[in-house]
Amino acid sequence: MSQDNGRSGLTRRQLIQGMGAASTLPLLGGVAPFAIGNQSAGRVVVIGGGFGGATAAKYLKRANPAIDVTMVEPAEVFYTCPFSNLFLGGLRELNAIAHGYDELRGRYGVKVIHAMAEDVDPDGHRVSLSNSDTLDYDRLVLSPGIDIRWDALEGYDEAAAEKAPHSWKAGPQTELLKRQLEGMDDGGTFVMVAPENPFRCPPGPYERASMVAHYFTQHKPNAKVLILDAKDNFSKQGLFTAGWEQLYGDRIEWVGLSNDGRVTRVDANNLEVETEFGTRHQADVLNVIPPQKAGWIADRAGVTDDSGWVPVKAETFESQRVNDIHVVGDATVATPMPKSGFCANAQAKVVAAAIAATLEGSTAPDPYWANTCYSLIGPEYGISVAGVYRVQDGVIASVEGAGGLSPTDAPEATRALEAEYAVGWYNAICQDTWGTEA
Amino acid sequence: MTRAIQPPTPTAWLSTLLLSIGLVQASLAEDTSTDEPYSSQQLAVLAGNCASCHGTDGRLAGAVPAIAGRPASALESRLLSFKRDEIADTTIMDRIAKGYSDEELAALATHFASIDKQ
Repeated sequence: MSQDNGRSGLTRRQLIQGMGAASTLPLLGGVAPFAIGNQSAGRVVVIGGGFGGATAAKYLKRANPAIDVTMVEPAEVFYTCPFSNLFLGGLRELNAIAHGYDELRGRYGVKVIHAMAEDVDPDGHRVSLSNSDTLDYDRLVLSPGIDIRWDALEGYDEAAAEKAPHSWKAGPQTELLKRQLEGMDDGGTFVMVAPENPFRCPPGPYERASMVAHYFTQHKPNAKVLILDAKDNFSKQGLFTAGWEQLYGDRIEWVGLSNDGRVTRVDANNLEVETEFGTRHQADVLNVIPPQKAGWIADRAGVTDDSGWVPVKAETFESQRVNDIHVVGDATVATPMPKSGFCANAQAKVVAAAIAATLEGSTAPDPYWANTCYSLIGPEYGISVAGVYRVQDGVIASVEGAGGLSPTDAPEATRALEAEYAVGWYNAICQDTWGTEA
Repeated sequence: MTRAIQPPTPTAWLSTLLLSIGLVQASLAEDTSTDEPYSSQQLAVLAGNCASCHGTDGRLAGAVPAIAGRPASALESRLLSFKRDEIADTTIMDRIAKGYSDEELAALATHFASIDKQ
């Protein structure tokens, strides 16, 4: 890896150009200890090429092109969970949620390695890869997403997921569920098992139920949707419930925890599930969204806690447990920020700025984060929840008076606008993260 | 658990900023002029959240409009109007703009005005 091009003058000019800012003041040399003489601008390894990882890599290079950035991601094509429900609903092709790494490589000079990160040695500041390579880092960014907890729900293991897909990591699992829906007889029941909090994309199960119901209105007019939920409340519940009633009548039934909605056993061979109090439900297509945890490389790096998720320092998203490792996205404990692609992207930008500042020997800027989660109930019926976040007293806090839900009494025109903006958002965040032109 | 905080008052913000500027001036002097309250690094972080809907540097035009290269005064007045619920048919920007002080919105307006449209 190149480590000899980080001279301070060059670094600063590139930094300024990267920010689009102009300067008429003379350069003051020799004030940032890490940028003097032949010192490298620093080596950063990013593990994961999703919303968090790809954004971190890009924004590190935007902050300072002289930082040596290497991103490790097994997949050459990344399928987003956001808008995978639109694929299930027949509103979008799978290739319209696929993204690659050409911009990171070609425009930003990120070294992208398609391999699996297999281990992290925090003391040696070294990552080992499945292709036998090792990468040394000054700072490591982990954006590992989620892993399924295969031991958490009786009967639901990797083999079961081939019959009753989770489709909670987009790609082949999403295609499998789509094929099953297409193959289902009219009059059948799609059963979805929804997990307790916390999990990736809190409104996701309910948008999926909406999109499957939409598909049924088009292709299986007598089919039903049954959601068996391990909790009594869910994201945007009032908005979803009102939208379901308006668009789908009684096609969607939701059973919460208090009404024996918590599934405790899955029989994937027979497409049957059993609840806490012994009620059995027969499905024609069974979608099990199981309990989750941080992606397993986080365990290898030693940054997870007993919950299976990653506690981080609020200001910089550096691990609370291991120095020089920053973690972003769904893997982190970042409440009140949800586990969303938007938040992963926002967290990654703050982490990139903090690392760039640290490597230069300057103070990290104050963090600002925002979130907007759009959900489609129908093709022209969108709803959203938003938040703006800052650090207060050392913890992440929602800014009072900002954010919140779409209004409950909004006219149809507003729902239609939000559906349009949902697409606008998706196009923008994918451009911002992977450079994808819609 | 959700904690709620008040948007910082202009005075508190300014004193924090002045302090921060003092602390980092040595390393940032070349890209922070004395009458600008935000360093370019700070502006990049502030503006980073806008890119998630408006594209990198606010340049993506689509269902969500591009914001790069528009006059600062127009952007600032629009943002303040969103914050004060003065624009009918707003869906999301009212909820977002309320998370920022007037000074922050003004700085964002100046920032995006200074970026070439393409």
